[in-house]
Amino acid sequence: MNIRCFQRNFSAALPPLVPLQLPSPMETHLWYVLPDEVKSWGLLNQYSELLSPCEREGVNRMRGDQLKKRALLARALVRTTIARYQTNSQMNPRSLKFRKNLYGKPEVEWRDEDNFSPLPLQFNLSHTSTMIACGVTVNVPIGIDIEEKQRRTKNNLIAFAQRYFSAYEVKVLTTISDPEVQRQEFIKLWTLKEAYVKALGKGFSAVPFKTFTIRFRETTLRNFHPPGSSVSEASDIIVESFDDPTNPTNNWQFTLLEVAGSHYGAICIKKDRTAGANELMKLTVWKTVPFVEDVCVSGTDAVVDLGRIIEQ
Amino acid sequence: MAAVRGALIKHLRVNATPLPLLLLRNPKTIPNGLFNLTFNAIRRFSDEVMGSFLDKSEVTDRVLSVVKNFQKVDPSKVTPNAHLQKDLGLDSLDTVEVVMALEEEFGFEIPDNEADKISTINHAVEFIASHPQAK
Repeated sequence: MNIRCFQRNFSAALPPLVPLQLPSPMETHLWYVLPDEVKSWGLLNQYSELLSPCEREGVNRMRGDQLKKRALLARALVRTTIARYQTNSQMNPRSLKFRKNLYGKPEVEWRDEDNFSPLPLQFNLSHTSTMIACGVTVNVPIGIDIEEKQRRTKNNLIAFAQRYFSAYEVKVLTTISDPEVQRQEFIKLWTLKEAYVKALGKGFSAVPFKTFTIRFRETTLRNFHPPGSSVSEASDIIVESFDDPTNPTNNWQFTLLEVAGSHYGAICIKKDRTAGANELMKLTVWKTVPFVEDVCVSGTDAVVDLGRIIEQ
Repeated sequence: MAAVRGALIKHLRVNATPLPLLLLRNPKTIPNGLFNLTFNAIRRFSDEVMGSFLDKSEVTDRVLSVVKNFQKVDPSKVTPNAHLQKDLGLDSLDTVEVVMALEEEFGFEIPDNEADKISTINHAVEFIASHPQAK
């Protein structure tokens, strides 16, 4: 597949993106696209027009159609997602500029000469061969990671965990007797750890996986909804860092999901300073084919919260 | 000429390491200054120079075969210049698995901050070939 650039007027070629309100503090928006649902060459070519020349070159550099398609959809997803939140005027996804921070984490570069006002958005991307996801927050760092539920590792799980995970995490995994459950918990733990490192934005080597533990912790929630107050047992996901006392780890909130029945997804965001200590992250999830269809899938089977087990 | 040579040797002299006993027994067989210097230098550096750095082309072959062994990798794309993510489509978990497989193949641990820099086959080869602990 060769990405050819057709000289077409953007506004004539594609319908406008449905505009959206920015997420509030402590709210995350998650957008995902399933590459298998995007089959039209015409649509793919139109997506390619949204990319910068540099991005297009990056896509063409990928070897093989599937990798090229995945790279293309990832860029198209990021651009169209951010463009949705421009409330003043229609933001052309093609006009967005991106750069990398000091450690290589991608971010939007807002410039004065562009015709739209900067948005306080932060985003993070993750992809597998069958899903590409983009998480968006306002003002707070975010990291996301998705993995296919059926993913197998080449190495023995426990050997891998002993090499890369913390001692506590190895212990938790080792005590799981069912190999299938153990594999699933391994994948979930991997996504949580990846999401944390990506949220921190300093790269894998700055926060080696062995230097922090992610685990579930029992908490109690007091529920004041009618008919009266009740006490629920819940499980929080927390991170404990061994060697970074300057970064108090109760600053980070995690969500663990099963998405579209096929993937585990982890989201890590930094708690907003204004948020209450026990304020929970609100999450809204959309399945999208940019310019074609957006479906809000929150509250459906497509999104299952695995991190919060509420028992009454 | 001898004076220049002597001055040069004095300038180049490394820390003394004891000569093998055999040579010490018979002072007449102690080599002259220059040989002394070279001999000591070789003894001092032998652990690192002779036999412990792997030959680069051997490392390349072994690295290529480790990566080709990965089920999700298309072996025909695995070349020395191949980029793990861009050419072979590996994600972060795959890359860590590759590093682990390389550690097993070469018998030494690759620190996380070094592993992070390995984005192509060539990077891996360079790193491994420059490490005396690699077997």
